[in-house]
Amino acid sequence: MKIRPESFRFHEYVLFATVTLVTLILCICIGSVNIPVKETIRVIWRAISGLSMAESKAVPILLSVRLPRVLCVGLVGASLSLCGGAMQGLLKNPLADGSTLGVSSGAALGAVVAIAFGLTIPAFPFAGTMTMAMLFAFVSLTVILALAYRLDASLATHTIILIGITYSMFVSSIMTLVITFAGEKVKHITFWMMGSLQGSSYANALVLLSALLLFGGVILRHSRELNAFAIGEDNARAIGVNVKRVRLIVLICVSALIGVCVSIGGTIGFIGLVTPHMVRMIVGPNHRRLLPATMMGGATFLMLADLVARVLLNPLELPIGVVTSFIGSIMFISIFYSSRKVK
Amino acid sequence: MKQLKQLKQLKHAGIPAILMALIMLLTAISGCSKANDGAATTIKSKTAVTVTDMTGRKIILDGPAARVVALTPSDCEILYAIGAGGTIVGRGEYCDYPAEVMNVPSVQSGANTNIEQIIALKPQILLMSTMAQTDEQVAALEKAGIKVVVSDAQDVAGVYTAIELIGTLMGRQQEAAALTESMKNTFKTLSAKVKGDGTKTVYFEVSPLQYELWTAGSGTFMNEIAGMLKLSNIFGDVSAWGKITEEQVIERDPDYIVTIAMYFGEGPKPEEEILSRTGWKNITAVKNGDILNLQNNELSRPGPRLADGANMLYEFVYGETGN
Repeated sequence: MKIRPESFRFHEYVLFATVTLVTLILCICIGSVNIPVKETIRVIWRAISGLSMAESKAVPILLSVRLPRVLCVGLVGASLSLCGGAMQGLLKNPLADGSTLGVSSGAALGAVVAIAFGLTIPAFPFAGTMTMAMLFAFVSLTVILALAYRLDASLATHTIILIGITYSMFVSSIMTLVITFAGEKVKHITFWMMGSLQGSSYANALVLLSALLLFGGVILRHSRELNAFAIGEDNARAIGVNVKRVRLIVLICVSALIGVCVSIGGTIGFIGLVTPHMVRMIVGPNHRRLLPATMMGGATFLMLADLVARVLLNPLELPIGVVTSFIGSIMFISIFYSSRKVK
Repeated sequence: MKQLKQLKQLKHAGIPAILMALIMLLTAISGCSKANDGAATTIKSKTAVTVTDMTGRKIILDGPAARVVALTPSDCEILYAIGAGGTIVGRGEYCDYPAEVMNVPSVQSGANTNIEQIIALKPQILLMSTMAQTDEQVAALEKAGIKVVVSDAQDVAGVYTAIELIGTLMGRQQEAAALTESMKNTFKTLSAKVKGDGTKTVYFEVSPLQYELWTAGSGTFMNEIAGMLKLSNIFGDVSAWGKITEEQVIERDPDYIVTIAMYFGEGPKPEEEILSRTGWKNITAVKNGDILNLQNNELSRPGPRLADGANMLYEFVYGETGN
């Protein structure tokens, strides 16, 4: 039997980080408008070193449009994948993810309610939708888990997914109702629901980064407890894990992260579900290795998907969800089948 | 115990159902009270009217129509413009111009077209565009004795056809001809006055950045009117409507920006919002503040107001009154 060290070794960190970084650079260099690599490097270098630049179109395209967007996409990908990985471990459920459990739809409902009723915090234009999205994500997760526990204390895969999907449908019906009664703001909401990473700013990226550092950090610190959960809740209790407390902490962090991502980028399906599985094939199931790898894998995956969305039909742009679902489902099924065969 | 639980669940399920029923009842009542009596309009003549609608279907009426349900906003506008606004007994929910039309009972339109609502209004004809109606829906309406007339203008010439068609239906051929004539004159005067050499570019923003950028490409009314005014659409290579990348707008650097984004009275106005976008500062239109916000669908509806829209665009670009 091959024994892996529990956490990442240094060179593995370097390897994963390099892949992510290379993808990041690739996504900055390629875009809807063709800018020579030399020019790209020059602009970015001058921006970093604070030198003045000649006015050319490449400057705003790179610095105000492409770079913040790629950063936001990468951070959203990392956050959603981390959430998926953490939930799959916590619930011992390979199908757990923000979208299958209805947490993303819950967060979306929160944001829609905030837009429809004009809930804003004056100084921070996006804080209203974000807070509501986070709150609704947490409430959704609590409701779904509470319902599932009452039906089936072992939280079997099918029970929780069934409840999650039912909940998603319930939430989307409420969302439609809100939209029907919201009148002239309808346009606002319907467009918002599609989710958009267009117009991402450095401020968005900063919010995402802080959320990831804070909540993601807490989740990562509970990797070992998640390992225990992945074997079984009783097992976790037996080896001295404070089951209730850890579960609550992880759920709060997951909802907060999903809430932030949804309020900035809309609901992006599939990524939280697929990435942890793909990464698990590479690094194994230990959460101390899996979670950091999942974050980097998710960032890479979503950045590449966004790249395809941006350049495939130039000058048109595809919705990113189309690309993630298309590539994601094919990859997922092929991984699923090949892993089954090995067994 | 279990039964009690089930009973409880049933009770809870009941509340939303009752609420829904109440809502439905309320809407029904309000709908009834609003219904006005459009039948009062006098019928001009009793001669049979035969028209061919824009899908090539032949429609025969005993006389000019006196009760009309119009689902498309542009058809409502045409009806009012030829002085037949009083015949409208029902309007599609998005018909909002002229203001009087808001007093007419509204019905669902598009994919949600509700045949029962339309039949209840007892129109002689139903005016609509082909966009979302299925053959089954049309057949059901014909069965109820309602003639379905399709007006589906794809370009300015199509608008003239639609006006002529509706004019014939309503027995108002002269008014229709006059309307078409005035539109044609407007466009003719404008194109004659235009001094541009076709090098100035325009970008039409249909949906603003925060809801994803959508533009109007070739085959749209905006594109056609821009062509009349010798403006070239920077997204002429996009067919119809499309979601475009922000990078391309900056790259193609339009001289003018026309946005049709709605303003809800809060936050920055559409033109201010465009001016404040980071990365857009060097776009010629943004630098010069040449951004026009058309709030009322002047250039997006195949109706008589296309002429107004063209005038507004001319005034905006060339800085003088058009007509």
